[in-house]
Amino acid sequence: MMRDAPSSSLSIRRVSGSPDPAPGIRQGPEYAKLVDISRCIGCKGCEVACKEWNELGIEPTENFGSFQSHRDLSPDTWLLMRFSEAEIDGDFHWLIKKDACLHCEEPGCLYACPAPGAIVQYDNGIVDIDQDRCIGCQMCVSGCPFDVPRFSAETRKVYKCNMCVDRVESGLEPACVKTCPTNAIAWGTKDEMVSLGERKVERLRERGFARPALYDPSGVGGTHMMYVVPHGDRLEEYDLPEEPTASPGALSALYGLRKLGAPALGLGLVAAGLHYLGFGPQEPEEES
Amino acid sequence: MSRGGVQRFTFVERVVHWWVGLSFVFLLLTGLALSHPRLFWITTLFGGGSTTRRLHPWVGILFAGSIVAMVALWAREMRVGPSDRAWLRAIRHYAVHDKENVPPAGKYNAGQKLFFWAMSVLGVLYLVTGIPLWLPGGVLGLGPFYGSTVNVMRLGHYLATVGGGLLLIVHVYLGTLAYPGTLGAMLHGSVTRAWAKLHHPLWHEEESGR
Repeated sequence: MMRDAPSSSLSIRRVSGSPDPAPGIRQGPEYAKLVDISRCIGCKGCEVACKEWNELGIEPTENFGSFQSHRDLSPDTWLLMRFSEAEIDGDFHWLIKKDACLHCEEPGCLYACPAPGAIVQYDNGIVDIDQDRCIGCQMCVSGCPFDVPRFSAETRKVYKCNMCVDRVESGLEPACVKTCPTNAIAWGTKDEMVSLGERKVERLRERGFARPALYDPSGVGGTHMMYVVPHGDRLEEYDLPEEPTASPGALSALYGLRKLGAPALGLGLVAAGLHYLGFGPQEPEEES
Repeated sequence: MSRGGVQRFTFVERVVHWWVGLSFVFLLLTGLALSHPRLFWITTLFGGGSTTRRLHPWVGILFAGSIVAMVALWAREMRVGPSDRAWLRAIRHYAVHDKENVPPAGKYNAGQKLFFWAMSVLGVLYLVTGIPLWLPGGVLGLGPFYGSTVNVMRLGHYLATVGGGLLLIVHVYLGTLAYPGTLGAMLHGSVTRAWAKLHHPLWHEEESGR
């Protein structure tokens, strides 16, 4: 899918922990990855490319009865091919998921983050952590509906896939896209990838898949990594949440109420001051 | 007493009071700093965002310990009785310094007792709601805590903070500006007889009778 894409701008569209609007005013193209799971052969070349480009540390692993390279994502592993085993119509199937940041349009991590500027969303759709501003509170870890960000106990910062933002800025595709030998990962503008995904779903249906689906969950406003899922009725088995949301539970209530807390305390101080002006101190009578 | 006053708080009581108070003020300020972007600048006073985030839970443990010490020290004296109910019914008179219409208080009036119990309950709330925020990955077999849980805890922790902050304002105001002579009880431990007679007449009688 590589072509002379206009290099995208890193104008900031959303920013964490800021009382002010994000400064971005440009409207560049929005980019997206499209992972066609039906074309993935499980080679893990993307994992290696990710480590190489981002210069992430090598982590020893062990045989734990799976084709998967490592058990989990980590501060040094931003991309992990997850291999779920399933029996479908009497046949063995691998339900492979490219587990990495989905770069949500409505990013739960960014919404949950209290540190100004620690998480930003560029106008090209990429959600990025600025570790220099990260305070290590891990609110993003629990705020992410996909369980992607990973906390490093060593640096006390959180890490995740940044969609090779340095490559994208220069008009290149992310390293995983570049390396994929079967073109299972496509790269282009979000609109292009949505229509490509829809065509791929249609083709899978023609090939006899009963419920293929394009995974672009609306609960997070859509994502900038989407999946073509051959067995769309088995999302949970792919480890893809059915209805992810950007601000689960009480977050929006908190964000509404927290505007009132400091003013309430300020009013408390004013009330104490008024009481003093109105009623004054109550002095004990002088000792006789 | 050398000052000719009445001993109100022992050395141990004063130490525990400031242990509770200073750790609470630290937690209130650092907590507010992390609660809203407009207050994030407060983290600068405590060494920056990362340091603030690291210190807050550990001071929280110190604070929890201080609440335990506080309850151990004062729970008996703070039991609420029938006379306290009468005092509470007259609280609007108390609020405007109309002492004639307020039933005489013992060593602690009902307001002080309720403040004590409110802080004790808040102490438990801070701990329960704070642990998932401190260690969202889980601790002692609990967790990991997911977004839905963490956000409820954040909301609870925040509301408890605002509640505790308002109580602190009342407490400090009454203990300093409103009732001169009170602060000394928590500094050198004693108050004047006149102070005791004015604010805690029954306690004053007890002390004088000895």
